[in-house]
Amino acid sequence: MKKILIKTNNLSKSFSSGGTMQHVLKNISLELYQGDFTVIMGSSGAGKSTLLYALSGMDTPSLGTITFMDKVISDLRQDELAIFRRRHCGFVFQQIYLIDGMSVMDNILAAGLLVTKDKKSLSDRARKLFSQVEISKETQKKFPTQISGGEAQRAGIVRALINQPEILFADEPTGALNSKTGLDVLNVLTRFNEQGQSVVMVTHDIRSAARGNRILYLKDGSILGECNLDKYSRADKSCRPKRNEKLSAFLAEMGW
Amino acid sequence: MKKTLILVNSNLRGTKGQTIAIIVLALLAGLMLNLWLMLSTDYRQNFDRCHSRLNAEHVMLAVDGKDDRLIDFVTETLEHDGRMKEYTLDHALHMVGSFEYNDGSINTEFVFLEKETALSHPVGKVEIVEDSSFTSGIYMPMLYKSEDIAVGDRITVSIGNNQLSYNVCGFFNSVMAGSHNCVMCELVLTADKYEELKNSGYAPEATLCSVRLKDCSESERFESTLKNAVSAQYPTVRTVSNSYALVSQSRYISQMICSGIISAMAFFILLIALVVIASNIINYIQENMKSLGALKAIGYTSRQLICTLVLQFGGLTLAAAAAGAVLSYCLFPYINDMMITQTGIPYQVRFLPLPFFITLTALCSAAALAAGLSARRIRNIAPVSALRQGVHTHSFRKNHVSLEWTKAPLSFALALKTTFSGIRQNLTVCITMLVLSLVVVFSGLMKENIITDIAPFLNLIVGETADSCINVTSPAEETFLQKMESDRHVEKIYLYHSVQVRHVGGTELTATICNDFSKLNNQNIVFEGRFPRYDNEIAVAAKYAREKDIQIGNEITITSDGRKAEYIVSGFTQTSNSLGKDCLLTRLGYERLGSLQNMSYYLNLSDNTDIGQFHEKIKRQFGNDINTTIDINATISGSASVYVSLMTLIVIAVLVLSAIIVTFVLYLLVRTMLSSKKKDYGILKALGFTTGQLILQTALSFMPAVILSTVIGVTVCSFIINPLTSLFLNSIGIVKCTFNVPAGFIILAGVGLILFAFAIACLLSLKIKNITPRTLFTGE
Repeated sequence: MKKILIKTNNLSKSFSSGGTMQHVLKNISLELYQGDFTVIMGSSGAGKSTLLYALSGMDTPSLGTITFMDKVISDLRQDELAIFRRRHCGFVFQQIYLIDGMSVMDNILAAGLLVTKDKKSLSDRARKLFSQVEISKETQKKFPTQISGGEAQRAGIVRALINQPEILFADEPTGALNSKTGLDVLNVLTRFNEQGQSVVMVTHDIRSAARGNRILYLKDGSILGECNLDKYSRADKSCRPKRNEKLSAFLAEMGW
Repeated sequence: MKKTLILVNSNLRGTKGQTIAIIVLALLAGLMLNLWLMLSTDYRQNFDRCHSRLNAEHVMLAVDGKDDRLIDFVTETLEHDGRMKEYTLDHALHMVGSFEYNDGSINTEFVFLEKETALSHPVGKVEIVEDSSFTSGIYMPMLYKSEDIAVGDRITVSIGNNQLSYNVCGFFNSVMAGSHNCVMCELVLTADKYEELKNSGYAPEATLCSVRLKDCSESERFESTLKNAVSAQYPTVRTVSNSYALVSQSRYISQMICSGIISAMAFFILLIALVVIASNIINYIQENMKSLGALKAIGYTSRQLICTLVLQFGGLTLAAAAAGAVLSYCLFPYINDMMITQTGIPYQVRFLPLPFFITLTALCSAAALAAGLSARRIRNIAPVSALRQGVHTHSFRKNHVSLEWTKAPLSFALALKTTFSGIRQNLTVCITMLVLSLVVVFSGLMKENIITDIAPFLNLIVGETADSCINVTSPAEETFLQKMESDRHVEKIYLYHSVQVRHVGGTELTATICNDFSKLNNQNIVFEGRFPRYDNEIAVAAKYAREKDIQIGNEITITSDGRKAEYIVSGFTQTSNSLGKDCLLTRLGYERLGSLQNMSYYLNLSDNTDIGQFHEKIKRQFGNDINTTIDINATISGSASVYVSLMTLIVIAVLVLSAIIVTFVLYLLVRTMLSSKKKDYGILKALGFTTGQLILQTALSFMPAVILSTVIGVTVCSFIINPLTSLFLNSIGIVKCTFNVPAGFIILAGVGLILFAFAIACLLSLKIKNITPRTLFTGE
């Protein structure tokens, strides 16, 4: 029995645009489980990112509830949500969003020092994570604009994981990268998921989606379908054709 | 031009907040500059206009006595002097006297004139500015019109040892004798009251000599010549005189102080406005690098883009400066009301094209120049690179305040990072806070030395003060001294008497004679060298000494009553009594020139002594041997209250202005920071920073510059404020200011300024509340 991390009940989100209301998410009820690599797919404008930010407490729903490990977070005020995010969530953005005025290491420590004052253990953990994503000591000292996009996104993953979050949210993490560096980033995410890290990723790239074990397909603000796959294994390539076939069939069924 | 205007319009729409803040600063600068120009030009010239309109005197001399020989001598002396243009000789009554005013009293030389004489004599006629139907009573100089002295009120004038009560019939304006700042003060009586006073014998009959000169710059020399001629011929006749040079300065001391402070404020506000404009333009270029690149790509030249900014900021400044100048006309009547209590000369506020034009031209040119110089970097923008990446504003040479190694708390460390990356922000803050530190120190100085306790100001400006001054005739001197020394109320008594002498090769000086200067309450009157001890020593006013290149140890020749004597300069003095034209002599020293006919003694009385009753007792004891008695505290209180209220208003005004400046400068900086770091704030909020943390971080980022510049500013200003004030007061004879610098108040005010800046920065940063992580993905 998988442990439920996040549960939504009739989650809806509407925006006012040009005097008319746009209903971006409509009555979404779902559960996200610990240890899963959940992928949210859908066409452009389907509400993928809006769902991701609502689930992560980055944005508040218009209607419905979101429960994180039995705690309702949809009623929290902005500052309470900020404290929730720093303790429980990690974020990887498509545009990476490292702060230009800080070195790579400081970008990570700025997030980490929000949760702990133990600078030594924090620095050790940061160095360990840097080592796992293959970022050298020299790169850690550089500023974001002085490193490549791939390096920056891997540093972004380190920042997302520095507080050992229960769940990592990734919004199109390979969207701004070329195929080689995008693959590196996917491998990093997969590796952390293999180590037990729960991941929720938004993508419209089928190659990225193939890394997930649970695919949610969103259309016009509602979940149109769901596909469960075996866990992706970087070591065992034999099962990949079968997984890809199942995923392709699911996406075809969804009208992808 | 049309394209430029379209861009200007677009820029203004996008930066409403900054535009308003720059408008406020330029408006304040315009207001101050125009006020200063009006005060220092037309307001000052009002004296000359009034002087010409009333055909006023350049020299006034009141000579006790009216016998024909004396009048003939004066007439002959005047007729033979080629500098004289016209003159009148009038009958008057002359005596030292006093009346109550402003919770104190006015003690001065009164010259009583009969109303018809005062209104009709061709030189130095008076002008009735408020009249009534009363046909018997007194007309007062308009300076003294107040709640206590109004038409229909009764006023008691002490004349010598006698008191006379008059009905106030009205007020008049007299340029040369309409104030106690003019050495002599005219009081106009109706014919019946004039006859009554003349017949009473309380005030000796005198001849008032009013002279107009061909060249007004000769006034001091002519006054001296005339007075010396009379004194030489009639050594026992009492005379009192003034000159255009003395009166034109002494009636405008408050104007000079106010004008100086306003000019300094105008300069500082302009400086801050220019720094803010430059800072805004540089930020604008950085934030709009891509737009500027795009405009260049579609064919706009650098010149056009620079012109846009020059036009935008020059135009804004022009409009705001015009509004400020207009506002100064709304404010000027209040300043005029405040000033008139010291000048006593009516001034009609009117539109002055020249100051208005200078204000607009100066501010607009300065703003355009600052805008043009700061916008020059647009020339370096290459369209392609600007469009591709914009410009990175951070210095990547050093990672300031590494979070890994710093011991500072997170918010403080992140604030320090922002501080170190914002050189322009720090520069703007530093300049603003340095200026405001000077304001704080100046306010502290004025509070400590004028508003709370006016004694230090009086010690500097007036010189010596005591409780009582009694003028006694020469024959009664010895008995008087014996009585006073045995009186239980008298703690100290010393001769402190002023006479006029002349420096050979120089001008007339007011000599203060004392038998023992070590008895003076104010030992700081001589600030360099020492008081004269021997009969061949003299201490002279430092301002005069500098003008004449007189050094301590030099020998100078002094003349009086036709006799000459040489003195060695023992020290330099400074008081404003004679606008820096005075000297100190021992009694024996003066007696080398002449003898005193009557002498003023200063007395320190024991606590709880009723000075009025004490004076009554002395008058009863000595009768007509006592010429005058003066309650010095009451006299000072009457005159000083004008300065206290003026300075209180100035201090409040500069402090309010400082608060406005801090608020607007910080508003501009915070707004610029929020705009340029909006993405960073969104990222930090997404990572879990709360609004409170980010507000604190933003406000703290200003604090290093605020604290450092305030501490440096307050410390440096505390050391230089006295020399600066000396420069400021130099024209009234003060060359070395020795005001108490109130360390406690200044430290508290400095801390208050820092806390105020912090609170304002926090308040202005509240806008961070509106920045949400959604900003990142919606691009709001």
